[in-house]
Amino acid sequence: MTKKIAVLVFPGTNSEEETLRLLRACGGDAHLVHWSRAALLRDFDAYVLPGGFAYEDRIRAGAIAAHDEMMDYVIEGAQAGKLVYGICNGAQILLEAGLVPGTGEVRRPTAAFTRNGPVPHFVCTHVWMKLAIDPQRSPILRGLERGALVPAWSAHGEGRLAATAEELRALRDGGHVAFVYAHEDGSVDDSAIPNQAALGCAALVNRAGNVLAMMPHPERDGWTFHHPDRRRGNAMLEPSGGAVLFRSFVQAVNA
Amino acid sequence: MTQRAFAITLKIPDNAAYTTLTTLQRLGLPVARVERSEIWVVEDGGGAEDFAARMERNETIFNGNKHRLTVLEAASPRAGETWIEEIGAHDRARERRYVGWRLLGNDGRPADADLLREAAARLLCNPAIEKAHIA
Repeated sequence: MTKKIAVLVFPGTNSEEETLRLLRACGGDAHLVHWSRAALLRDFDAYVLPGGFAYEDRIRAGAIAAHDEMMDYVIEGAQAGKLVYGICNGAQILLEAGLVPGTGEVRRPTAAFTRNGPVPHFVCTHVWMKLAIDPQRSPILRGLERGALVPAWSAHGEGRLAATAEELRALRDGGHVAFVYAHEDGSVDDSAIPNQAALGCAALVNRAGNVLAMMPHPERDGWTFHHPDRRRGNAMLEPSGGAVLFRSFVQAVNA
Repeated sequence: MTQRAFAITLKIPDNAAYTTLTTLQRLGLPVARVERSEIWVVEDGGGAEDFAARMERNETIFNGNKHRLTVLEAASPRAGETWIEEIGAHDRARERRYVGWRLLGNDGRPADADLLREAAARLLCNPAIEKAHIA
């Protein structure tokens, strides 16, 4: 039986339509759920938090949304093993909610995706993310090959992973860094990182592997027509590129 | 040079402060009012008498149509207030910037230090990237 995926819409979310569309194209039974109908979330099997500016980033990106009623259901579901995937602002919310990396208490963040470096400007650029952990580490990633390269667009002013030195060591040693920024050939160095993120981190996963927080947008490189060099063939309306992550997520939800 | 501090607040409705108030109340904290300020601490080479007027001429931080500027008696949080500092933001800067959150309790009095610490820990400050100053 196909399981239901909720795409959460907070006031200020702005990437819900493309996220919904790609989830459906990858076989997901996905539905939008708005903040005013939070109780509906109880009946869903997985949650996707799309990008945007939930609650206008008041206080900090994700800070208010992390305490929204919708997050009560997401936190409860995540603790029960449901799959949760946050993209960009959705990732910021998951860190503020303490679900990722999950090294502290719920709603007591231990890390943040914060103001870009070296200059704190909004950056919009195409990026490649390299899978930095064993795909078996997270059910969300099991559809990927080891070391998989996934294309996406970085579009954020606050995407730099920051935490204390001790916490960063814990993230590295605990296998929480799911993806790092890379070049198209798979090589990894500082010049591939668009925002000076610590550990070159593009995405974090929690200890259990069921919650993934990713700063770049794979759904904005999820169709052949999205990609600038169009090397992925002529099927312009076929899911491709970043869709590999959405397929893997949907497979995991339905497994 | 003299160290001087001032606060810039909105004189139009502050939706961010209101959302913060409702979130603190959702967390069960006894807060009835939240006032948000942008706090600046600067080294000033001019006189005290025209300090406010000189700062108000800086249109990158002050817009007279929506802001009110208050010169502070000291470069430290006022009663009921916590200043949130972004870690690393001041490493190379001569001026210091904070976000000031002043909380008033149900009795209208400024929040005490325990309430401020709890509000900072649970909402206003992410210790991974910020530091909360409380008088």
